[in-house]
Amino acid sequence: MKLTLNNFDEEAKKGKSHNNNWIKVGLSTCGIAAGADVAFDTIKKVLQENQSDVEVIRVGCAGKCYAEPLVEVKIEGMPQVVYGKVNEEVATKIVQKHVLGKQLINDHIYLLKDA
Amino acid sequence: MWKYKKVILVKDTDTGKETVRFSELFNSALRDRGLDGEVQVVRPADINVYDQGIVVKVMPGNITYSKVEEKDIDLIVRKSIKKEEAVKEIQIDPKDKQVRIVLRNCGNIDPENIDDYIAVDGYRALKKVLEENNRDNVIQEMKISGLRGRGGGGFPTWMKWDFAKSQKNDTKFIICNGDEGDPGAYMDRSVLEGDPHSVLEGMIIAGFAVGAKKGYFYIRAEYPLAIKRVELAIKQAREKGLLGNNILGTQFSFDLDVRLGAGAFVCGEETALIASIEGKRGCPSPRPPYPSVCGLWGKPTVINNVETLANISPIIYKGGVWFSEIGTKRSKGTKVFALTGKVENSSLIEVPMGITIKEIVFEIGGGVLNNKKIKAVQTGGPSGGVIPEKFFDTSIDYESLQNLGSIMGSGGMIVMDEDDCMVDIAKFYLKFCVDESCGKCAPCRIGGRQMLELLTEISEGKATFEQVDKLKLISKAMQRASLCGLGQTAPNPVLSTLKYFEQEYIDHIKDKKCASGKCESLFVYRIIQEKCKRCSLCQRNCPAEAIPGDRDKGYAVDQKKCIKCGKCFEACKFEAVAR
Repeated sequence: MKLTLNNFDEEAKKGKSHNNNWIKVGLSTCGIAAGADVAFDTIKKVLQENQSDVEVIRVGCAGKCYAEPLVEVKIEGMPQVVYGKVNEEVATKIVQKHVLGKQLINDHIYLLKDA
Repeated sequence: MWKYKKVILVKDTDTGKETVRFSELFNSALRDRGLDGEVQVVRPADINVYDQGIVVKVMPGNITYSKVEEKDIDLIVRKSIKKEEAVKEIQIDPKDKQVRIVLRNCGNIDPENIDDYIAVDGYRALKKVLEENNRDNVIQEMKISGLRGRGGGGFPTWMKWDFAKSQKNDTKFIICNGDEGDPGAYMDRSVLEGDPHSVLEGMIIAGFAVGAKKGYFYIRAEYPLAIKRVELAIKQAREKGLLGNNILGTQFSFDLDVRLGAGAFVCGEETALIASIEGKRGCPSPRPPYPSVCGLWGKPTVINNVETLANISPIIYKGGVWFSEIGTKRSKGTKVFALTGKVENSSLIEVPMGITIKEIVFEIGGGVLNNKKIKAVQTGGPSGGVIPEKFFDTSIDYESLQNLGSIMGSGGMIVMDEDDCMVDIAKFYLKFCVDESCGKCAPCRIGGRQMLELLTEISEGKATFEQVDKLKLISKAMQRASLCGLGQTAPNPVLSTLKYFEQEYIDHIKDKKCASGKCESLFVYRIIQEKCKRCSLCQRNCPAEAIPGDRDKGYAVDQKKCIKCGKCFEACKFEAVAR
């Protein structure tokens, strides 16, 4: 559907909206070089194994190069957290402990946003 | 549901050693009051406050405490956990120094999905522009905003647009300069990869304002992911009617294509870039005429940098006045920097103009790596200069950086510590320019080479003070006579290191010493007999068999055979090898 000046507002609302529970993975060159693709695949796999409907979203670079790969997690009712240095092990932990176990994970939080 | 109601973040921001102990203390204080089921104590990797002792953050509420001692724990639990109050005496209010305009969507939206961009008010600026259908208004808004080119030059964007607009010509072009090439700079790549539509939208608006129907993305071929995402964005925008004929159902048509740079640094210079798009060899040509009058294929052309273009949509959507309220009097808005080098938190940051270097390095960057002593920051890459520590209170804007002998540049900011030798740094950047010189004009081609030879002699301890005078002389000639920015600015790193770190040059020339230990030819390796334990490690690691001796008689370096590789220095466990 082509957008026009008249239908813009209406069509803009129709765009795919994201799930309320999501995990964003920074997948730019910098993130991928640090292993973000592994984190992305691992998170998807472990979510699937646990039949979770949490959405995994590919995003660009969030800027904290020193902490790549970066993964941001939003689960309703919990604080929104940016995890850094997410390798395969931490990625698994993010799903098992944070998403399913509803606990924040030590030693990998780089930013905690007020919900 | 989350089983907790609150979070306490605990971090020792000095040494990190006390984090675990303090978080345990908080846990037991919570247990004592029966609150351990309600509050989770977490040890973060980064609490975004640095060198402030034990830092504690209570969320929600974002109450932050610094220099927390054991005696404060009970009070924090009583006041901030049981009630909603703060312990005023130790509370701090850390402000987020960053303002994200260009990077507003980077890390937040899916760059490969146009709906994600539209959902965050994407293409609304374009819609606004086409609804108003007044080209003068767009340029007026840009003028009010005060936006200046972010590629390094700092030329007012509205002026470039206005020149091109006033040209009577049916064919005009918009070019996005994505030929980012400064060592250590990756701002443009991050924007193109993280939010390509914001740049697209900026180009379409520019096209409307100047009356162009065609635009080119010039991206260096070394950025495959950026190219892929830009091409995808173009495809999606065409499908949505945001590119191509009759954009948003109006009379305005504009389309975009991608052209790849083959890796020549000089192609970031606008006239060379144009030659490259035309299929010619990437060499600059004299200006005037400027591209806005006679550019691509002789037509009026606006060339804007990626970061400049990413600023357009928010300026048009929120208004030039909004933008002009950020920054300083003559430098408006924000600047994206790639903060790298000897800094704790290497990061891509966006800060308002007018922030100080100190704030960037210590409050955002978290200070110098390994607690070494900071020496300088380098801005502007091979065209810029070094700024020594004593000027760290200088505000970041186009003019003040220029006054210090550096430039804003495209946004590389490299932190240098005591281990960095300024002669070596100057040599590094000059070598870069010599390698990248296109060779068209003599001052750059010959001058650069001559300067590099002089610098090499200095770094090898073979120079006299005459060489320094020659360096200055050639610098001046290059600045005045080179054809393009590459040659004109290539001497900057040399001149600014000479200006602020002359003593280091003197040390190299007079004392034949490199205090930072970078200039290998000046090293004289020798074994300190008092410290030597005669373990033979140095001898076994020496590839040149330059360390004769045995465990009974001890060892010594044969200077004639020594190749100064430093293997003995690295191998010795007793610091018995001096250089």
